[in-house]
Amino acid sequence: MKQEQFVALHEKEWNVLRSWLGQLDRTPQAAMRAEHALDFPQAYRRVCHHLALAQARGYSREVTDRLQQIVQMGHRQLYRPPAPRWHKVAVFLVADFPRLVRQQWRCMLVAMLLLYLPAVIAYVAIMWEPSLAHSVFTTRQLADFDHMYDPANSHLGRSSGTDLQMFGFYIMNNVSIAFRTFASGLLFGVGAIYVLAANGVIIGGVAGHLNAIGYGAPFWRFVVGHSGFELTAIVIAGGAGLQFGLSLLAPGRQRREVALRHAAWIGARLAMGAFAMLIAAAFIEAYWSSIAALPDVVKYSSGAGIWVLVFWWLLRGGAGSRHAA
Amino acid sequence: MLDTVREIETPEGVSLRLRAAGAFGRAQAWLLDTLLRFVVFCVGLGIFSAILGRGGVGLGMLLMFTLMWVYNVVCEVWFHGQTLGKRALGLRVVSADGTPVTLLPSVVRNLLRVVDALPGIYGVGLVTSMIDPSARRIGDIVAGTLVIHADDLPAGSKVPMAPAQPLPLPLDQDEQAAVIEFAERSPQLTPERQEELADILYPLTGREGTAAVTQITAYANGLLGRP
Repeated sequence: MKQEQFVALHEKEWNVLRSWLGQLDRTPQAAMRAEHALDFPQAYRRVCHHLALAQARGYSREVTDRLQQIVQMGHRQLYRPPAPRWHKVAVFLVADFPRLVRQQWRCMLVAMLLLYLPAVIAYVAIMWEPSLAHSVFTTRQLADFDHMYDPANSHLGRSSGTDLQMFGFYIMNNVSIAFRTFASGLLFGVGAIYVLAANGVIIGGVAGHLNAIGYGAPFWRFVVGHSGFELTAIVIAGGAGLQFGLSLLAPGRQRREVALRHAAWIGARLAMGAFAMLIAAAFIEAYWSSIAALPDVVKYSSGAGIWVLVFWWLLRGGAGSRHAA
Repeated sequence: MLDTVREIETPEGVSLRLRAAGAFGRAQAWLLDTLLRFVVFCVGLGIFSAILGRGGVGLGMLLMFTLMWVYNVVCEVWFHGQTLGKRALGLRVVSADGTPVTLLPSVVRNLLRVVDALPGIYGVGLVTSMIDPSARRIGDIVAGTLVIHADDLPAGSKVPMAPAQPLPLPLDQDEQAAVIEFAERSPQLTPERQEELADILYPLTGREGTAAVTQITAYANGLLGRP
């Protein structure tokens, strides 16, 4: 068949599909309601067939380029990702995320040690020799801490600022740290190790310093509420970064690119879970932890309750056969 | 290296042509996005502070967080793989197989901006996108995504109309395609170049100069099935 005959025979069909695809980009809902929407997969495959024919018969670019464009547009629509479902978010948080954390338990354990060991060492060291605090923090930082946790302060854990202001700050600061911890794991895990250990030293150092100068009570009253979510989320982000770096160092029986991609997908899901945990932590930190007036028993029991809840969720979430994938 | 077109075979058995976008266009899109986000942040912070006072700074922080980490993912997943900067430059993020990018790859490629941006402004990303044949940065390589030119290829121009003539002898399919392509492209060439190329076919046309060009156009019309 000559090219001109071919075009004359099928041109109308191409134009209909092309205009419908154009409409779909501009007004998706109206286009989906149109009668032609039901024919789309068939019409698309016919055009693919025409393109293959045109190429095989050596028709000119005038025809093949035109068909190529329609195929590109159609391909984008036919293979577009499904619309997101809220249900999937809930299933992820309740079941998939804890399962993923348990699946990566080795990296999580290492990350936990990398955070808490330096913290304990810094804490003990500064309790033993309070002047060591000056080699970790600058004098100005120490003065800030002293001011934040001054027992005379009406708000715990901050020198100034409203609840909302601090909430925004905690989200921005903590979630960025978590994301960076995961991503910098790509550098053979070094980034994740550094962030975990550095944060451990800072946390342990602050705790040690405040305890040593007798401001321990306001400090523990402040951190006990949100630390369950916050520290665990940092551990998980660190663990995600470690397994990411590990996949590059020891890809096992896979090519590095494949192993890396697999690890990145796991890590990204862990990072999103840590993101959710840090939102919870920021809420607690801004609106609950900072209340100074509550009695000790409420503060400590609620804090312990949150720690238990976090661990119960991570250790048991999605373990039942009902959710099994 | 010079050819940035990647051909991807679809399940329908035809090939998609994806044209990978280079570092320069992507840098422009990023710059545009960054300026835009900076302006939005400043305006947002101003409005929030005016209404809520110091609490507004908290909302400003949330806005900054959204612009820094969420904006790219939302644009890529729900707005055809294009942030506003990419849309302005005619770029699009797609999966390596040409399908639209999904949530998880988009999250990965945007989280890994941390690594790509490392020494100052996207040093690692620039180097890897220069090394990689498809101009991917590390985030793209790990996530299995690709940034392509989204604007359609210019469709091939039409062969000029002329009274058709049959070929004096049968030609291979490749040779026929060459004759048609010459006729298609000849309007883009200078007359001297047209004649120079047409003279090569002297054994076929038996003519030289302008007459050869006219003759080949006539053959092309015949091959296309025009009267």
